[in-house]
Amino acid sequence: MTSPVSAPARPASTTRRTVGFGVGVAAVLLLLSVRLFAPAETGEALSDGVRDGITLAISVVIESLPFVFLGTVLSIAVQLFLPADFLMRRLPRTPWLRRAVVSLFGVLLPVCECGNVPLARGLMLRGLSVGESMTFLLAAPILNPVTIVVTYQAFGWEDGILAWRIIGGFLVANLIGWIFSRHPDPMRLLTPGFQATCAHAADEQAAHGGAHGRAAAPAKARQAVRMFADETSAMLPALMVGSAIAGAIQIAVSRDVLVAVGQDAVWSVVALMLLAFVISICSNVDAFFALAFGSTFLPGAIIAFLVFGPMIDIKMLALMRTTFTARTLVQVTAVVALASAAIGLGVNAFA
Amino acid sequence: MREFLRRWQGVLLAAIGVVATLWLAATNRLGFYIHPRYFLFTVIMAVIAVVFVVAAFAVIPVLRRRATDAAGDGSDGHDHGDHDHDHDDHHGHDHDHHGHDAAAAGPAASARRRLGTVAGIAIVAGTAVALLVLPPATLTTATAENRELNAAAVGPDSAAPDLVGGDTSSFTVKDWALILRQNPDPADFADPISVTGFVLPSPDDEDVFYVARFTVTCCAVDAQPVGVPVHLPGWQDRFAADDWVTAEGRLDVDPAGGPSPVLVPETVEPTGQPEQPYVF
Repeated sequence: MTSPVSAPARPASTTRRTVGFGVGVAAVLLLLSVRLFAPAETGEALSDGVRDGITLAISVVIESLPFVFLGTVLSIAVQLFLPADFLMRRLPRTPWLRRAVVSLFGVLLPVCECGNVPLARGLMLRGLSVGESMTFLLAAPILNPVTIVVTYQAFGWEDGILAWRIIGGFLVANLIGWIFSRHPDPMRLLTPGFQATCAHAADEQAAHGGAHGRAAAPAKARQAVRMFADETSAMLPALMVGSAIAGAIQIAVSRDVLVAVGQDAVWSVVALMLLAFVISICSNVDAFFALAFGSTFLPGAIIAFLVFGPMIDIKMLALMRTTFTARTLVQVTAVVALASAAIGLGVNAFA
Repeated sequence: MREFLRRWQGVLLAAIGVVATLWLAATNRLGFYIHPRYFLFTVIMAVIAVVFVVAAFAVIPVLRRRATDAAGDGSDGHDHGDHDHDHDDHHGHDHDHHGHDAAAAGPAASARRRLGTVAGIAIVAGTAVALLVLPPATLTTATAENRELNAAAVGPDSAAPDLVGGDTSSFTVKDWALILRQNPDPADFADPISVTGFVLPSPDDEDVFYVARFTVTCCAVDAQPVGVPVHLPGWQDRFAADDWVTAEGRLDVDPAGGPSPVLVPETVEPTGQPEQPYVF
């Protein structure tokens, strides 16, 4: 996006664009023909265990991919169509109140947790602070209508599971937001790559002022496509690696070991949190999954699963690593795990 | 290469994922991996992504050209074909995520960069093999044995089906597993039943195997095996684990003395894997 948006398109670039379209269609068809003509015997040499690990990894990819696309499209929309100061003007000025409001964004944008990562990046480029975007990232998968309705369908009001999930999600997300808002130099929580993107976005805003809002439609479309390429380049490698690890661990960790401790007040909480971490399941439906353990596990363990799982798991860590440093993620994971465990243990002890 | 990868990795991975998704949907096999309630959403997002992917091929090479032009390096040879030449080009106003790398020169930095490039290529290649080359597969008994059988036979839409006057011929393995979970009186089941599933050996009783299916709530990651126990001494001689079979017979008291009825089959016939191997 270097040339002024008002400049007439050069004929040369129009031709090149047509050629590009052709190349794009050809590339998609090429991939399709690989799929169509791949011999059915490939993979027969693999053992059942390896096969299943791959199947599980693929299922995580197929499940998450549309959500990542949706999050990416929403993120592009936020950056292209939301005026730069829109959020800043409307959000409350008191920091904690502001974070409380940010943690409710998920009500309007009921995307699954993997879609929230690109969206959170977009919101950060649009002026949200690091702490606030973390609050959004952690709260939105739980505090959204789809998750709440599904949790209600699965558990009703039984054992306060739904109530504690909502309260717990809100508290933990705001706790994290508060802790990281106190960091003296929040930019250092971000990966160098994303810092550069942020700096670039700020430059562009300074240079063009509100130009985003007035750019011509074709220019906006080109910009949207470029953002799609940038965002998928950041997100998809992480998603593939996260899914592969999640698939491999499913095979390596025997689930029987995890579910053998269901009635122990402490170990049941630890076991279900580990399961949540390993399984990397989508927050919109994890309640159905947890229901399978409802008869064997104490309610506190279920609550810990339902609070911890949407915030932190293998796939999410891989995706968040695109944006936050490893050190930051270790801290976030530790705090979220301790807080979720505290809620689960508390419910087991007192309820 | 690094430059090429940075620019195209996302588009390539998106293209691979989308082609795989749409092909699975077209050949009716999306259900191997995810719950049917996501089919429509998944296909819609895949179609939107295809539009972006094709558009990216049209837009990105032109953007790059302009960026190089702006940096005063606009000789005509620079189209997207010769991406190898511009490692250290300054990309004018272009998005430069890795601008900091250029400053941190030195052997360690360049080794790390090379490693990153190799890893990036490996991710694209691995994804392509997993999604486009390997044939789609469902889970096997290797996973079933790792997960608790019939734990998932509870759920919002899995209230025990109505037996009285109900048409048991449409009951799935999951329905029967649910009923058997309640240790019913076998005398309630006058009619013979028929179930189809894969053979899962019983860990406790060598005369028993389960006719099993996976039930899925979201995607295959959360698949839980459900199964109906079949009492057939010597079944090992006829079937191996993972074989698909249809068992017909009556539910009767467990000869081994267990609390729950078992299926005492009149016939057990091998069969092919059904189009939709999971139950929901």
